[in-house]
This record gives sequence, structure tokens and C-alpha cells, in this order.
Amino acid sequence: MNRLRGNIVAIDHNSHMSLVDVAVGVEVFSATLLETPETAAYLRVGNAVTLLFKETEVVLAKNLSGLISLRNRFSVTVISIERGAILSAVTLDYGGESLVSVITTRGVDRLQLATGDKVEALVKANEVVLSHEP
Amino acid sequence: MICASIDKCLHGADGEFRLGAELEVAEGEFVALYGPSGVGKTTLLRCLAGLEQPERGLITVNGESWLDTAQGINLAPQLRRVGYMFQDYALFPNMTVRGNLEFALRPDANKKRVSELLDLMELGALQQRKPETLSGGQKQRVALARALASEPRMLLLDEPLSALDAEIRVRLQDEILRLQKHFGITAIIVSHDVGEVYKLAQRVMVMEAGTIVRQGTPTAVFCGGQTSGKFAFTGHILEIEAMDVLFSLTVLVGSQIVRVVASRDEVQQLQQGDRVMLVSKAFNPMVLKLAD
Repeated sequence: MNRLRGNIVAIDHNSHMSLVDVAVGVEVFSATLLETPETAAYLRVGNAVTLLFKETEVVLAKNLSGLISLRNRFSVTVISIERGAILSAVTLDYGGESLVSVITTRGVDRLQLATGDKVEALVKANEVVLSHEP
Repeated sequence: MICASIDKCLHGADGEFRLGAELEVAEGEFVALYGPSGVGKTTLLRCLAGLEQPERGLITVNGESWLDTAQGINLAPQLRRVGYMFQDYALFPNMTVRGNLEFALRPDANKKRVSELLDLMELGALQQRKPETLSGGQKQRVALARALASEPRMLLLDEPLSALDAEIRVRLQDEILRLQKHFGITAIIVSHDVGEVYKLAQRVMVMEAGTIVRQGTPTAVFCGGQTSGKFAFTGHILEIEAMDVLFSLTVLVGSQIVRVVASRDEVQQLQQGDRVMLVSKAFNPMVLKLAD
């Protein structure tokens, strides 16, 4: 599980759902939740939260251009690659934080990923869980 | 409305502590007392039933005083009209199923109530049997019917299902819920099964060392908003297997076995038998309707 600590900077919501923006350093991540500030007391601008997302939900891209609907897109550096027969784990540095992306080994080959590469990591907003201290 | 304030000295494994609990339960409400063993949950129920007396206490039920230690009022258990269901059935072994129910009737009660309950709980075929010839699940259904036979105004359930296997437990939870709704009876259950609390109770009170430390709806208390993942289940790890750069976890959730994929750092602190929570976003599950 990948973890990034941040603070809530904005909340858009309707009666059942919220789109929560969380600042992690200078970048803003988004999470769509089936909760609202009325049902979840921790959803307040300024509150500290941890973003959680599964390694298998982190997409990697090189030289990405054009428009994309994904909310969470950030630059990372490949630290190491552990190759498996089907899947590989790519460890990434994101401003000093270590994140992991698990993609197919075919994907690693197609992107010709190597240690030191600068790539973009992408995570859909509805794959991001927010956790907070009770 | 049941209002109770109980103050009693208890002797726990780590020495003496005070049971100091205040609770209000609305008419027809189903509440759960949740917490580890030895924090005073059972004693609180027994004080409500009149089976134990606190040093200081006050119990009023719809304005009627059941206990008021300051005034020297202490209504006898049989006058409190409480249905009590224990983990160990506590059926009379020398009486038939029907006999057990009849024994619990109030003196002025209509005998037809026993037949109604036997029908309602589909126990008719077992009515002439002695408890020793019944399975655990059957015994507990008889115990539930007997608890209801006295036309109680309050049903107290002290971990009634914890000795039963998962499948029978789920069936009996359905039964308890159905009968509680049918009679519109106020119910308090002691349980340390989160699933059971979720299923049965509208409100859960968490007890620690003699006091109620938290209460609210099961969702508010157990999810406490700790994570925004809505799809969460607790289970026990049966097996951990490495596959490529990931791991396959086999987890027992209720009576179902599920397999999930976990990363190395998730698996690092886990071993067989550990209790885990599986969390997924509410957006992920696909929903398929099943044929009836």
C-alpha cells in the first residue's frame, strides 16, 4: 500500500459523494469518496490525512502528451525494478517518499524502464482511500 | 424508555475496578454492548435483569422504578418482565421444549402464547423433545422462544450465539431480528462480534474497564471515519503465498473464504491466524444479481 501524508485543501460534494483535494507538498491529489462532510467529521479543509492507494493501481507513463481525465499525475524517478514472470514491482522516488507501482513485466519492457528514469505516475481519484487518525 | 445508572465494584483479572455506566435506551431500540471480556458488560445486563444489585443505582423503565438504591427500591427479577438469553442455553433438562416455554409464562398468561411462539419459530415438530436431544442451534432457538414467552418488555441477550458455528449464528441473528421487530421489543445484546453488532444493533456502546467510552451507530463507531474505504470486512488469514512480486492472501471472512492480492509491505507484519481488515473503495466492486 502506498502512503502519502497531506492536508485537505478543498472539498466538493453532493448529497452522497465528495471530491477531496489533498495537498502533498506543492502538489494536489484528489480522491473521490462515498462520504460527505456531514457523514464524516474528518472531512474538513485543513485536516491532516494520509492518502492510501494500492501498488497495482499506479500507472506509469513516459513522454505522456495530450489531455487525460486522470486527476492524479505526478513526476517520479525509478529507484529499482524487481522483475517477476508476469508482474514487476517498480520502486519510485517521489520527492523523497518511496512509492511502488506494480505493472506487468511486459509493460516494463515496452516502456524500457531503467533505474534513474524520470517517468510519470498516474492514479485514478476513485482508487485513493483517505485515512486519518481517529 | 429505559434509563439506568449503575455503580458497582467489580473484581477483574487486574484487580478491582468500578462499573460506572449510564445508559438510555428508547422503546423498541436494539442496542449492543461491545468490548473485550471482563469489562462489566454481563454485570450491567445482570443488574438490569435484577440478578445482581449494584452498590448505587437507578433503573426506570417507562417511568416505573425498578431500582433506586437511595429509596431502597429493588424490584424482584420476576417482576421486571425481562427476557434473558445466555450463551449456555440454561434450559431445564427435565422438561420438554413445550414445558420449558410454559414454565416461563406469566401466571395470568394465555396458554396459546406457547403455541404461537412454537409456530412463529417453527419449533412445533420439536415441542415434545427434551433439550439433551437437540442441537446447539435448536437449543438456542428454544431459549429465545422461552425468553419471549414471559411477554418481556426488554430482551437481554448475553453473547447468545458465540458458541454456535458461523452458519447457524447468521440464521439465528436473522431470527432474533425478526422476532424483535415482530414484538417491537427493546433489546440489548452483549457481543464482541462486529458483524453481529452491525447486523442487529441500531446503536452500539463500547465498554472499557467498566465505563461506556463511545457510542453511536455501528458505522460511526467501527469505521469512525478512520478510512474512507466503504467496502471493509474483517477476517482471519488462513494462508500467505508468494506469487511473483506480490502475495496471495487467503482470508476467512465470516464463513466465506476469499483470496486477495497484497504487496510485500502489507504482508511483512502478517502471519497465519492474524486478524485483518480488507478495505476496498466503494467504487470497485461490481454488482451481479443472483438468481433466487
